[in-house]
Amino acid sequence: MCAIAAPELFGSDDYGNAVLLVDGDVPLDQHSKAMRAAGNCPEGAITIEQDSI
Amino acid sequence: MTSTDPHTDFDIFDPQYLIDPFPVIDEIRESACPIARTERWGGSWLPTRYVDIVAMAHEHDLFTSRSILVTPPPQMQFEGAYGGVAAPPISSDPPEHHWHRRLILPFFAPQAVAKYEQSTGDLCNQLIDGFAGVGAADAAADYAQQIPVRVIATMLGVPTEMSDEFTSWVRGVLEVGLTDAKVRFASRMKILDYFRAEIDDRKANPRDDDLITTLLNSEVDGEKVPEQYVHGVCNLMLVAGVDTTWSAIGASLWHLAQNPEHCARLVAEPDLWPTAIEELLRVYAPVTMARIVDRDVEFQGCPMHAGDRILMAFPAANRDPRQFDQPEQVILDRQVNRHVAFGAGIHRCAGSNLARLELRVALQTWLERIPQFALADPESVTWAGGQVRGPRKCAVVFPVK
Repeated sequence: MCAIAAPELFGSDDYGNAVLLVDGDVPLDQHSKAMRAAGNCPEGAITIEQDSI
Repeated sequence: MTSTDPHTDFDIFDPQYLIDPFPVIDEIRESACPIARTERWGGSWLPTRYVDIVAMAHEHDLFTSRSILVTPPPQMQFEGAYGGVAAPPISSDPPEHHWHRRLILPFFAPQAVAKYEQSTGDLCNQLIDGFAGVGAADAAADYAQQIPVRVIATMLGVPTEMSDEFTSWVRGVLEVGLTDAKVRFASRMKILDYFRAEIDDRKANPRDDDLITTLLNSEVDGEKVPEQYVHGVCNLMLVAGVDTTWSAIGASLWHLAQNPEHCARLVAEPDLWPTAIEELLRVYAPVTMARIVDRDVEFQGCPMHAGDRILMAFPAANRDPRQFDQPEQVILDRQVNRHVAFGAGIHRCAGSNLARLELRVALQTWLERIPQFALADPESVTWAGGQVRGPRKCAVVFPVK
């Protein structure tokens, strides 16, 4: 599901398990997609940590 | 509902419940006792709240998958050599579940199912060619029902020309067979006989890039997997991959036929498709699975006994207002949608990526060809339910181009 919501951030391995494609901070232009991936994960497996600026 | 009290006597095969189960489900869910009990159809519990259903799905050691259909299997019938053939991994419990599932996952990874997109679209167009000039079709029987069975047959490397037989066998297990033990037994035997012969054929004539051949050659801990496992996987792919997706496609078309503004938005705003597909899956989730309680336990105040059957009503969870705003509304751009149409936990549908692809391609192709359509007669629509909910007859009319 996350790979559909945010294909730039999440992919899948040969078993279809989700893998994170980015290292470190989520790029600014991907924030809304990251939120959508988190809000749609059926297992609630994605958490987003926000640093204060 | 013709029965007296949904809390103690609900009937998932009541004619009114089959057409629309949600008034009964909502009444149970919003009451002080959101887990109902019935003695009908072998007896079962019916949790209706999202948190309870997800919690039970995650407690797979307590709520086991020893029996997964919503009514008990036929008694006193001798299956001979097929007695041990199940439907792994959906019918497996840990620890075997792990390898049972791991061996089939590569066939369903997003990159693996992408190769079926073109052929699925071609198939959808061929089906529409058959009725486009008439201005009328049965969106369930002439279209939805015809698609997943051919995709699954292609995956299994068995002839798509046998689709009508495959469909009747699957309905014999999941539809008619739930309330008719003889039909269920006979249909299961037809499926198992058929795939027993296919397995023997692949052993004599191995094929390249073939699911059955690949599984037969698979090893776990240095030993070839048992043929009974491969037999069971074939059984599962047919039984789990046909009725389910066809019901989701049919229910979605039933919805679109009554909501022309949704058709227009999907045509005008194709970026909506990813959220729209998830929303249609949420509202029209077809599948209810079952679990068997492992040991006596009190769950949310309900005294459950070892061997009790639980109906995992994922469609009920998906309409829980505690989890979803305006749960009965189809909101095509719903942003937060943690639906459980595919279940949750270790048994979450292994074929979800393929199902999503089929649903999207089927609906996109339909709207490309038939952007405006309506139900011919809402009263003539018939529904199947119990295990897999979806329209079985859904006549529609549309302008001929």
